Amino acid sequence: MTPNKLTVAVLGGGTMGAGIAVTAARGGHRAILRDIDDEAVRRGLDNAESFLRKSASLGKLTAEQADAALADLSGTTDLSDIAAADVVIEAVFEDLELKKQLFAELDDVVSRDALFHTNTSTLSVTSIAAGSRYPERVVGTHYCNPAQLMKLVEVAEGRHTSSEATKRSLEFLESVGKTTVITKDRPGFILNRFLIPWENNCIRALEAGMGTVESIDRAVVGALRHPMGPFQLLDVVGLDVHKAVSTRLYEQLHEPRFAPPPLVDRMIAAGDLGRKAGRGFYTYDSTKSFGA
Amino acid sequence: MRTFQRVAVLGFGTMGGGIAQVVAASGRDVVVLETNQERIDRGFATVRGFLDEGVRRGKSTEADRDAVLERISAITDVAGLAGVDLVIEAVTERQDVKVELLARVAEVVGEDTVLTTNTSALSVTDLAAHLPRPGRMAGLHYFNPAPLMELVEVVRALQTDAAVIADLVSFVEDLGKSPVEVKDRPGFLVNRLLMPYLNDVVQEYDNDLATADDVDVAIQLGLGYKLGPLALLDLIGIDVHQHATESAYEATLDPQFAPPPLLSQMVAAGYLGNKSGRGFRVGTTEQGEGR
Repeated sequence: MTPNKLTVAVLGGGTMGAGIAVTAARGGHRAILRDIDDEAVRRGLDNAESFLRKSASLGKLTAEQADAALADLSGTTDLSDIAAADVVIEAVFEDLELKKQLFAELDDVVSRDALFHTNTSTLSVTSIAAGSRYPERVVGTHYCNPAQLMKLVEVAEGRHTSSEATKRSLEFLESVGKTTVITKDRPGFILNRFLIPWENNCIRALEAGMGTVESIDRAVVGALRHPMGPFQLLDVVGLDVHKAVSTRLYEQLHEPRFAPPPLVDRMIAAGDLGRKAGRGFYTYDSTKSFGA
Repeated sequence: MRTFQRVAVLGFGTMGGGIAQVVAASGRDVVVLETNQERIDRGFATVRGFLDEGVRRGKSTEADRDAVLERISAITDVAGLAGVDLVIEAVTERQDVKVELLARVAEVVGEDTVLTTNTSALSVTDLAAHLPRPGRMAGLHYFNPAPLMELVEVVRALQTDAAVIADLVSFVEDLGKSPVEVKDRPGFLVNRLLMPYLNDVVQEYDNDLATADDVDVAIQLGLGYKLGPLALLDLIGIDVHQHATESAYEATLDPQFAPPPLLSQMVAAGYLGNKSGRGFRVGTTEQGEGR
């Protein structure tokens, strides 16, 4: 399909990892999803398969395209199975030591020419790249959730990333249909850098009695035409996830606007995590997530 | 309860024209006050152009357009405002100009006529303090373009009577808009949230985080916003945003409202956004640069 069929190893079988594996296989590459236990691999592959089947039933892909993507999708728990990878994309838990250690191990598994992509949203690409003996091959490629549907990928070079690695990474991302933006390796890149203080400011406005959950959402949608209000979005993201992202940015930037406001902790303590819990700023009849 | 059947709009610029159109479309008679015939002609031309576009797109009919235009009249003599139930002021964003004009209007209209301002940057409480019977004064803050944007902030000054707010909320609903009642704080609600975000983007853009195009593309694709923040600033007017955030900063001394230096520099250079042909996105060589 594509002029150059690559072998793409995706590390981490969670939502992001499975979405990225779908993106790679659908884009005409061989995708290997790797996680540490069989159950996690199976779950990731099941999610990938049900997404591709659904795409075919919705007419987004032909049955042949879906079958071809599925045939190019495999899973493993064994790192040595990804030895032939041209591109390694890590989408594991947002933990700097874990990511560094993973890249260090991979140095001895894959070829010197393989690209290392980190899907970190809040950690430094330079810091993660320091785990590899060859930091020039490490590029930050931040996908949006759900990765198989959202076109945007933020691309960030670490201090030692080679321009050759960046160029090849942009070509790869183009081959799988992504739109890329280039950003400096700074906390939150573009999206989270601006979204997190915006959301925190909306929460503080609520705490300050400047409006209600409903009136602030209505004001933002009605005046700025955002697709959803800040509290609807926070419920989709999850209050626990918002807190984690906020906190990691605050720890790096030390600016108060990145610090999660007290209401976030109270909501987490009460179990009001958002849509997935059936209750956040709003209450929901169904905890099923949408868009999947 | 007052339904405000005869409405005066002060100023026939972009906002005044849009507000006059919205009010006339609700079946009310609107009289617009301007300073000269040339500005009146321009105001009518803008409203007509907007309505023509609606007809062209099949959103309304020629008969609707003509009916809306017929309900709008325009005058240059303030005495012609006698008998209106509601005044909506939408002149230039200067406290002295607004106070002088509203005081003259207050002398002509009835004691119970509700006076409102479409200010986004000035304190409604402060404007009301300069007028007789300040309890009838409130803010009615529309968003640009007024005929399209659903939200209207109904701003309660310290002096505003509760009944005035209730009547204005019903009025906005009757216009088919979505009212939100807010306190008279710098930026009210929407701009209070929007200005720090825009300032943050401008500063990080100046700090070379990414190109203007990439900042906007990231926000549009990642968050689904219709406009990226830098295109939004070009639309708002860089001078308008600079003035608004500076006013909020002066009123609060809160650093998140402090205008980033790049804003003042762009204003000094005449880079005001769409209206001047050059801004963050518009008229720059960066645009369309391939990668």
